Amino acid sequence: MTAFVQILPVDLSVIGREHIGLAVIGYSVVFLSLFLLFLVFTIIPKFLTRNLRKKFQKEGGEEKTAFAGNMIQGEVSAAIATAISLYLEELHDEETAILTIKKVGKSYSPWNSKIYNVINFNRFQR
Amino acid sequence: MEGLVRFFEHSGFVNATPGHLLMILVGLIFIYLAIRYEYKPLLLVPIGFGILIGNTPFAEHAGLHLGIYEEGSVMNYLYMGVLKGIFPPLIFLGIGAMTDFSPLISNPKLMLLGAAAQLGIFLTYIGALSLGFTNPEAASIGIIGGADGPTAIFLSSKLAPHLIGPIAIAAYSYMALVPLIQPPIMRLLTTKKERRIKMKPPRSVSKFEKILFPVVALLLTGFIAPGSLPLLGMLFLGNLLKESMVTKRLADTAKNAMIDMVTIILGLTIGASTQATTFLTQESLRIFILGATAFMISTAGGVLFAKLMNLFLSPENRVNPLIGAAGVSAVPDSALVVQIEGLKADPDNHLIMHAMAPNVAGVIGSAVAAGIMLSFLL
Repeated sequence: MTAFVQILPVDLSVIGREHIGLAVIGYSVVFLSLFLLFLVFTIIPKFLTRNLRKKFQKEGGEEKTAFAGNMIQGEVSAAIATAISLYLEELHDEETAILTIKKVGKSYSPWNSKIYNVINFNRFQR
Repeated sequence: MEGLVRFFEHSGFVNATPGHLLMILVGLIFIYLAIRYEYKPLLLVPIGFGILIGNTPFAEHAGLHLGIYEEGSVMNYLYMGVLKGIFPPLIFLGIGAMTDFSPLISNPKLMLLGAAAQLGIFLTYIGALSLGFTNPEAASIGIIGGADGPTAIFLSSKLAPHLIGPIAIAAYSYMALVPLIQPPIMRLLTTKKERRIKMKPPRSVSKFEKILFPVVALLLTGFIAPGSLPLLGMLFLGNLLKESMVTKRLADTAKNAMIDMVTIILGLTIGASTQATTFLTQESLRIFILGATAFMISTAGGVLFAKLMNLFLSPENRVNPLIGAAGVSAVPDSALVVQIEGLKADPDNHLIMHAMAPNVAGVIGSAVAAGIMLSFLL
């Protein structure tokens, strides 16, 4: 217990009003900034789709159906993503096949060079 | 003979202390956790290795210019990036280029969870004051509750540079331990029925909204808390580079090569800054205890606020309170924890997409909190 008090010597008397004030104001400001962002991004989509609604109304089509068609749901997005992923995976199979083809070309090395061949030895002596 | 004696005096065998050996053990544990269990390996490997470098004993006062705290040493020059608060904004640039804010834009009410989960920062600030830390030190310790390593380093570099080592190590350690710290709190504060709540799938977000978000968010948060500009400015710039689709090369560099380079240097220097002679103090132990408390309070704050929100929401719009825990900004680890806990309650309930929203809101929230602390205390 003594060791614990030594490591954590709690003294609440040092906490003043200004400290509590900072904590309360700080937390409130964090909330405020994210709340404002929440407000802005709740209003913006409505504002953006308002023009579309008007357009559909003018065209005389069923607003609801057309509007709903414009807003793609999560499941549809997931289905499209899966289709793209499957397509790309198929492409990868082709790529793997190409990678497995062995390289045919010979690379140069002085160790297998013809000009250093023993048959040519006499020619050098001459 | 004299040279041989001097060589021996400079060697690690003569200068080793039990503190050095203990810290070397800590470094090895970090490396083990990263490689064996893949706990934040991109951070724990450089930090763990940095601890080994920083705690390999040598004659500190021989003028060899080796230690991180010795002026003129290579490690000291690299450490300047931490001390001057250069690395955290660069990391934020990369994070911005990697982050997709769509889940947040599609369900903006989840932003409030990111704010609620900053509770730990401010309560721990009070707790640190009561333990005898000064005002700026307490603020730097409290920010560990934001679960954001770069933000913690940035704020402590400005307010309490002498505490950067323990604060950064505490922040990154607890971020790596998210899968162990958060689940018990999440289960304690929620019922099984609440954990089974299925949320509406998020709507798709237009390109225009995605481009608008970083611009509007920067201006809003920047006007409210200008102290957060170095962090949020870079975060939203990175995001705009990604979402605009016309700066693909820049976005690729920011989210790959640049963030990798900065992470290596940052991790290494933070690790090396834990030199036993300056790190092993009672103060460091208190910081570790306060950091863990901050993390737990933040998790609880997010979960409880999600439950509070449900009181005002219609049944079809209710949120699963588990996602409140993702309001701490350990991206994406806490969102993954939420997904795992959600699946345990209901194997068909996938919460990851929903959890990413408070998770990225938490990044913004903790940076704003850091900005407020700076404005008050600098």
